[in-house]
Amino acid sequence: MNRFPKITLWRVIVAIIFAAGIYATYARFALGFSQATHLTDPQPWGLWVGLGTLCGVGLSAGGFGIAAAVYLLGFERYRPVVRTAVLVSFLGYMSVIAGMMYELGLPWRIWHPIFMWNRHSMLFEVSWCVMLYSTVLTFEFSPSLVEKIPWASIRTWYLHWQHRILIGLVLIGCVLSSLHQSFLGGLYLLTKGKLDPLWYTPHLTTLFYLSAIPAGLAVTVMALYLCVRSLNMQVNAQIFGELASVIAPMLGLYGIFRAVDLSTNGAGPYLLRWREESLSFWAEIGLFVIAPLALLAFDKVRNTPQYLYWTCSLIVMGFMANRLNVSITGLQACSGVYYVPKWTEFAATLMVLTAAVMAFRFAVLYLDILPKRTAPRRWMVASTTAEA
Amino acid sequence: MPRTRAILVDITQCIGCRSCEQACKEIHGFPKDTEAKLSPTALTVIEEHGDKYVRRMCMHCQDPACASACLVGALKKTALGPVTYDKSKCIGCRYCLVACPFNVPRYEWAKLVPFVKKCDMCAERQIAGKPPACVEACPTGASTVGWRDEILEEAERRILNDRKYVKHIYGSEEAGGTSVFFISDVPFDRLGFGAPPTERMPELSQAALGDVPTVVLVGGALLSGIYWITQRREQVLRAEASVESASSKEGGRS
Repeated sequence: MNRFPKITLWRVIVAIIFAAGIYATYARFALGFSQATHLTDPQPWGLWVGLGTLCGVGLSAGGFGIAAAVYLLGFERYRPVVRTAVLVSFLGYMSVIAGMMYELGLPWRIWHPIFMWNRHSMLFEVSWCVMLYSTVLTFEFSPSLVEKIPWASIRTWYLHWQHRILIGLVLIGCVLSSLHQSFLGGLYLLTKGKLDPLWYTPHLTTLFYLSAIPAGLAVTVMALYLCVRSLNMQVNAQIFGELASVIAPMLGLYGIFRAVDLSTNGAGPYLLRWREESLSFWAEIGLFVIAPLALLAFDKVRNTPQYLYWTCSLIVMGFMANRLNVSITGLQACSGVYYVPKWTEFAATLMVLTAAVMAFRFAVLYLDILPKRTAPRRWMVASTTAEA
Repeated sequence: MPRTRAILVDITQCIGCRSCEQACKEIHGFPKDTEAKLSPTALTVIEEHGDKYVRRMCMHCQDPACASACLVGALKKTALGPVTYDKSKCIGCRYCLVACPFNVPRYEWAKLVPFVKKCDMCAERQIAGKPPACVEACPTGASTVGWRDEILEEAERRILNDRKYVKHIYGSEEAGGTSVFFISDVPFDRLGFGAPPTERMPELSQAALGDVPTVVLVGGALLSGIYWITQRREQVLRAEASVESASSKEGGRS
């Protein structure tokens, strides 16, 4: 009886995703782009870049934000969640790199930028930052794994040295993150005249940076909530409220910057035209800025993890809308083709994402990422009252 | 700046014989079928716009967006003028396709080992002193090749001396100037020509790239400073706490 795992709805869904993803992988590598994607010369970057890379990197910004808050700014109250944030980011970057294998035409040459330099290329800077930051994240995350090594001498030696260089790592991680989060937007500076005026601005770099931080924190909140909800982990309810009160002003800052930029950029007339770009723009702004800010204004939303979770999911959707608008919708008109990703493109991305979520689950369950809840039912309420 | 080569296409003289297309396919060993649009096997094509024939090809920008975009430096503006592609470096990121203001580069989507394809102005032939294959094949002289400054002068001479020409040399300022020029008796926007920015494209991203040292130095210094304050504050707190606990212990003893 126990030999065969129990069939549950989630397991069936995961199995379907993997089956589809494996076919997509076969299609990509054995049949080629034209069979696996709807990419064309006028639309050379599609879902894999828009969702896989731009969203993947942006949504993984939580790790550097929380690490900086705890280790550099001394906000001790976030220390209990720093491991979760770093884990999410680490898995996020690993997924981005896995996604690169699909996205690059010649993925076996992914190492080329290490030796073949073009200092004038925005993408060169991005690739180096992502390479270095992934290494930094691996080091930041490593103690969770090394702790589990049974040999005490290796363990203590490694953890000792890791602890000594940790501040340096966090600092380098911050600088690298700031650079490549903004430079992902910088990639589109060259699309002047092609990208729709609702998104093209010389300040694309700043906008990408300002939007990545709240989005990354929103993902951290969602991950923490799921740990509490489904994995029996213990997270102080106050932390949710505090993260919410950081996310809100950051979204506000982004909103103000975006509004000022749009109004000084001469994009005004495009805002209210009846066309797909303008509708997508309002969907994006509504999901990413307006709705979350309106919701976060309520104490009840900020202080109820469940409500906060749904608010954060709006932020994440809005963020994804923004990146997809920049990389797909905004370039549609000039490309002259209407790009709808092929199902295999979705399947590959979904498989990588599912693998990351599963890895996250296993890491939380088997490593010391968060304290486990001992007595159920007593969760967050108990911990808040205990502290108060 | 050393002299570079350039091509002038006079649309008024093109009769649409497609000799340039065929010569290009011949020299690259591509199948000879006529294609309507640029493709991995058609690096130059004649597009029909009304009764006009418009040749499309890489514009060989003076400061190419593709070359600044390419992270491994596979695309290069060579000293003689052509923008060339080194397939041994390419990793297939396709940022050049995104960056090109004229939407010229093509990708071999159907191949399992795909590369970027675009006209290289027959760079090797030109080094050997021969004209590009397409220009050599042109029977009417609609396409001519020469030194860029002389070609520009020739184009200017033609549009100034003949009233039928539109008073603009396409390529003289588009994307900061190119090495392929078009002159025409019909406005360019009616012939499918785009209106890319007139600045040198790489400059669009150079300002942001120039911020790297600043971000690294200022950001690094700022963060280190903040960290120093944080840990100093902690030290002070700890010292105070130990003093307090020591005094409370003393108090307990007395």
